[in-house]
Amino acid sequence: MQDRSPALDRLVLDLTGKPVPRICFLPTASGDGRDQTTRFLERFSGWPCEPSILSLFRLGVDRIDPRRHLLAQDAIYVGGGSMRNLLAVWREHGVDETMRTAWERGVVLAGLSAGAMCWFAAGITMSGGAPRPAPGLGLLEGSMSVHADGEPERLPAYRRAVAAGELPAGYAVDDCAGLLFAGTGLRECVSSREGARVLYVAADGGGGVLERPLPVRPLPEAEPLGGGRDRVAESDGVSELRALRAGRHRWD
Amino acid sequence: MEWGNPLLDDHVLALTGVARPKVCFLPTASGDADHYVVRFYRAFSADRCEPSHISLFRRETGVGDPRAHLLDQDLIYVGGGSLVSLLGTWRAHGLDVALHEAWRAGVVLCGGSAGSLCWFSHAVSSFHEGPSRRLEGLGFLPWSNAVHYSEEPGRRTAFLDAVADGMPPGYGVGDAAALHFVGTDLAEVVSSRPEARARYVCADGMGGASERELPVRYLGDAGAGGEALLAMAGGGALAGRAGMARGGGLAGGVAPARRLRHPQGPCPRPPLTTHAGSSRWAGEASPCRTGARRSIASCST
Repeated sequence: MQDRSPALDRLVLDLTGKPVPRICFLPTASGDGRDQTTRFLERFSGWPCEPSILSLFRLGVDRIDPRRHLLAQDAIYVGGGSMRNLLAVWREHGVDETMRTAWERGVVLAGLSAGAMCWFAAGITMSGGAPRPAPGLGLLEGSMSVHADGEPERLPAYRRAVAAGELPAGYAVDDCAGLLFAGTGLRECVSSREGARVLYVAADGGGGVLERPLPVRPLPEAEPLGGGRDRVAESDGVSELRALRAGRHRWD
Repeated sequence: MEWGNPLLDDHVLALTGVARPKVCFLPTASGDADHYVVRFYRAFSADRCEPSHISLFRRETGVGDPRAHLLDQDLIYVGGGSLVSLLGTWRAHGLDVALHEAWRAGVVLCGGSAGSLCWFSHAVSSFHEGPSRRLEGLGFLPWSNAVHYSEEPGRRTAFLDAVADGMPPGYGVGDAAALHFVGTDLAEVVSSRPEARARYVCADGMGGASERELPVRYLGDAGAGGEALLAMAGGGALAGRAGMARGGGLAGGVAPARRLRHPQGPCPRPPLTTHAGSSRWAGEASPCRTGARRSIASCST
């Protein structure tokens, strides 16, 4: 949910292939911060979808069964914050297992910042103040670091961790760029901002890293409110994902 | 942190025995909700203590080394919210271990609601999907706990069922009442409202559970409103709204542990060794430093 462009958010809805998809937002990593929740609802209520919020800090008030609710979605969108807290709270509630089940059933999983890194084997967390490697759910192999351009201390820490073998090879992703996976395979990189980059970073075996910029497809502007679905041009990657999802089986 | 009623807050501050105690607030169970942090700083203002808080979701606003900070406190106050989310987040940051160290070192621990339940070996919480659920806490106190006990009938029913079903015996605490433990023993029950209640619940040996009303000492004279607070002494003190726990020095000052005797009858106090859930900290709870009494106060506001 970037203020600059809603195109990446819109893509999440388009990937479901449903005319009115059910999409649930989990603000867990922020401690269920109200501003995140508000931003999500403001943005998605302008599009044809059924948005909902799952707050793991207010289950007693909301009376939602997390597993049942998540498995009934077409897409799940995870907000940013502390990656370490996110996974710890999920584990305690059993949501980590539910996410895997949802993924295997074909629910589109998406996220921002900590909510993007959590799907990988590992990421870089700032939960302790300084950037440090942290394990993720491991649905996707490799590692990921977000905010490669937005937080200057993050990319050097990521390079060092990959070079030292503390993290597997993976992706350093600029703000406003996104990775699109089908199953465990990267289909394409997209962005809602001209110039946003994705670097593939791997250990070079000699204590350093090899870096390769990946091609990034800029997404067309999405209407912030009530825009037509056809405004987002479909790439091969998106069509392929939809075709795979139509079968509702695991992608890999 | 009861609106308009500082009696329990005053009480936990006094339990530290320090003129201007260092007080740290942990709002983890609420997801570090801003409004809760603001409320803490209003209730525990700098003119009577040295307040601070630790946010585990917004580390840039918090202290650098949570463990060292917690060990340096006189009082640690845990806020309410989701017990399950609280424990998961604490474990991810090692705060469960740090709090146990603090308790052993004589820091008074207290908390309300989920901030009370967390100190016990077992709890019945409604902060979960569907009906009330039996959960495991940190287990500093080898008992079970339910909060909002007088106010939410569903909690009482669930607590009685759970104890009848084999959960360790424990305490059902109504709002405005607080348990004060010294070590793992209940020292007294205090309250910020005259009508506040607390009950000891244990299995009746016939497949059910029985309740015993506990004497409650009202902390005020006039009929102010109140919270419930529970404190442990002999190693820790808890205080809070829906349960506060303190684990720390109960030096001087307040109500030195007139030990409550559970009335004879169907609710004998079982030996501590029979309680599941205390095993993790077994052998560590008893050796209190001479002169330091670990105190936990839990309340149910």
